[in-house]
Formats: sequence, C-alpha cells, structure tokens
Amino acid sequence: MAADNRITDEALVSAMAAGDQDALATLNQRYGRALSAVADRILHDKADAEEVAADVLWQLWREASRFDRSRGSVGAWIMMTVRSRAIDRIRARKAREPRDDNAAEPTVTNDPSNEIHSAEQRRKVEIALATLNDAERELLRLAYFSDLSQSEIAERTSIPLGTVKSRMRSGLIRLRDALQGSGE
Amino acid sequence: MDHAEIKNLLPLKALSRLEGEEARAVDEHLAAGCDECQRELASFTEALAAMAIVEGGDEGSSDQIWSRLRSRLDDARDQSKIVDRPPARIENRAMRESSRGRGFAMLGSAAAAVLLAIVVSYGLFTSRIQSITAGTSNDIAALTTRVIELQRNLDTTGDQLAALQAKVAQTTDLTLASLGPDARVVRLTGLPAAPTANGTVALSSAQGTAMLEVSGLPPTPDDKQYEVWWIGEKQGPLRAGLFEPLSQGATIVSLDLPPPGEVVLASAITLEPRGGVDKPTGAMYLKGDFPRR
Repeated sequence: MAADNRITDEALVSAMAAGDQDALATLNQRYGRALSAVADRILHDKADAEEVAADVLWQLWREASRFDRSRGSVGAWIMMTVRSRAIDRIRARKAREPRDDNAAEPTVTNDPSNEIHSAEQRRKVEIALATLNDAERELLRLAYFSDLSQSEIAERTSIPLGTVKSRMRSGLIRLRDALQGSGE
Repeated sequence: MDHAEIKNLLPLKALSRLEGEEARAVDEHLAAGCDECQRELASFTEALAAMAIVEGGDEGSSDQIWSRLRSRLDDARDQSKIVDRPPARIENRAMRESSRGRGFAMLGSAAAAVLLAIVVSYGLFTSRIQSITAGTSNDIAALTTRVIELQRNLDTTGDQLAALQAKVAQTTDLTLASLGPDARVVRLTGLPAAPTANGTVALSSAQGTAMLEVSGLPPTPDDKQYEVWWIGEKQGPLRAGLFEPLSQGATIVSLDLPPPGEVVLASAITLEPRGGVDKPTGAMYLKGDFPRR
C-alpha cells in the first residue's frame, strides 16, 4: 500500500526509527487525511478524529523500531489501528454519555481521490469494490465504520444474523481476491 | 474448532466482529502460530485498509494532525532532557519500601545539590539586585523577574525529583525481581489483539517481588482495565494485577505474587471490566510461557 514510487512506507518507518521527523511528516502527508476521515466516519467529531489520527501516527513514531513488516504493511497497520482506536474512543464515550437513539446514522460517501493513493491505485480499489453486490458492500461499510455488533447490524438491516455473517465473509473474500487480482 | 473452521472465521476476525467462544478460539489458534491463517488474516486486513482509504472520504486535514504531532515532538524533546520514562500507576505498593532507601538517599543528595545551586544563584542575583538598586528601576524589574523564574525552576525541580524517585523505585523492584536467586523471567508476546505489544514479567518469591514492564498496548476504554494473570499448574488463571498503560513509553506494574506452592506456567494479559474479574473473560493481548525448570 505504498503511496508512491519515491520511497516506501517501510523505508519511512525505518527512518522514523532513526529519529527522522521528516519521515513522520511524509507519512502524515500520505495517510493523515485518510486517518482523520476514517476516524471521523466512526466518531462524527472532527477534533476527536484528528486526535485519534495523531495518536496512531504517534504510536508508530514511538514504536517504529519494533514495527514488524511480516505482520502486514504499514498502511494496513495504520488503517486498522485508527479504526480500533476510534472504536475504543466511541465505546468510552458511550460509557460516559446517555444513549441518544436519535443520533444520526453514519452516512456513506464516495468522495473522489485523496492525496494518499494515486488515482490508479484508487481506481483499482473502486473496481474491486464494484465486484461486491450492494448488500455485501453495505454490510462491510457498516461493519467497518461503526461499533455495531453482528446482532445489532442484523437488527438494523433487518437481515437474519446468519446471512449477515455469510455476506460479510463473502464480501470481504471477494474484495480481497479482486484486489489481489489487480495487483493492489 | 479445527483449522478449516477457524479459517472460515478470519474475515469476521479482520472486521473485529467475532465474539465469545469464536473469538477466543481464533485468538488461540493464531497465537499458536498458524502461518497460513496469519497470512490469510493479513490479506483481509490489507483489503479492508484499502477499502477504508477509498471509502473513508476526503475531509481530513493532515495539517491539523501535523500540528498535534509537532506539539508532541516538542514535548517529548523537552521531557527527554528530564526523564525517559514517567512513572506508572502502581496497584500494589507492598514490599517496596526497603528497596527505596538507597534511591531516595541518592536522589536526596541530588536534590540538595540542586537546591544549593539554586539558593546560591538566588543569593547572587539578590546581591546583584541590591547593587543595582542605585541604578535604573528597569534593571531592578528585570532582575526581579529572573528571581521569580528561579523560584519557578525550584518548584519544577521538585516535581522532577519526585518523578525520578518513583522511577528509581520501580527500576529497583524490577531489578530485584530479575536478580533474585529464584528469579523467573518471561517475555510476553503481543497477540493479534495487539500485535505490536510486548512485555517482560519478572518474578522472585525470595525477593517478594513480581514486576511487569509492558509497552505497545492500546489505551483502555473508561470502563475497562488490563488484567495480568499467572497461569498456575494447579489453579489455572490467577489474578496478578490491574493497570492502565501510559500513553507514551513503557508501563511498569508491581504484581501480586502467586500463592505459595503454585507452579506458574505462564503469564498473560487480558482486557477486563474495570476493577478486574476472578477469571479471564476478555480478549488476550499478550502471553508468555515461563521456561520449564
């Protein structure tokens, strides 16, 4: 998931391990907006989202020397960590605040390119997403960008729990296979 | 649950949508080192990350994030001049006081030296103020400001010494636990719930000390804490302590000793409801097996 051909994400993390702040700034340029956008989709709070995005990059900065490439790419680690941290924060928020049943539903946007992935990489992902049927795509979005359990997703979508699980599974397998087929 | 059943659950694992027994079975299977499932899980994680970047939208601002990072870098640079690692909150402070004496004495001397230097500086500046009193009032005002700064520095130095004292106490305990005649040390490895986390547990019944040093754990929600466990040969999981990780650097935690006579096979860390539970219920984040004697 490297953003361009000049220097890989992994090389940037190695430079960060040596204390290179420019490498951190470059990684922020590549992923900062996406991190903030994903966190905002989950948290619906811009300031919180920026804080979570900064937390993720800060964690990578602090632990750059221990980053284990064998467990996955830098980009995947960053994007999964921001989701995990955003969900942790929303759970903490729920524990503190009374539930608001009238809260706005997460909205799904399909905004065009950001500065992180090249247009070509982005196009590959969009093509891969297009191989999913609507139900699979919607369930993956709900599962990724919300803190809903499988049962809650089933309730919200009025789809039986077993079907929710099988569609999530088939959707993610289809997405993965399509991306691998495109060389992403 | 066999390998094929576990593999079938990996897409839901990548989405963090597994619960209960399924979640536990997958975690244990991955922790056991199944390379095929690790690769499969990583491939789903990569696919989801790609989807997140495209679907997340384009409304974030890297400038705002950099501003926050810049501030943290500056803070870290300032702190690194003082102390590398701030003290962790310690749940169990028993059996520590005797080991602190030397550390306190050493730091007491350091404190005295710093205080003396500041007092001498203060005196010099005061006498200088007196000699300049005949001069302009502007000069006097400037020197008074300097004296106030020195007093503030004195307060700050006191706080720094307290932090150093706590750090020395923790390090001393960790060293005692590691060097005891019956010392047992185990390296904890991050599991899929926290793959970059790592830690070390040192246990010495002879020294009456057990310590954990851990880093890389995500912050806990408000209603949760990490719980440390001894895995006993006879009694299974036994509570060892509760903690919340520091936002930066390593966290050091003093642990309860396992009961006498129990053979500890392993140590593990799980995420549990605040206040802890008697037996583990949450996801396991780190685990390590003690070497057999």
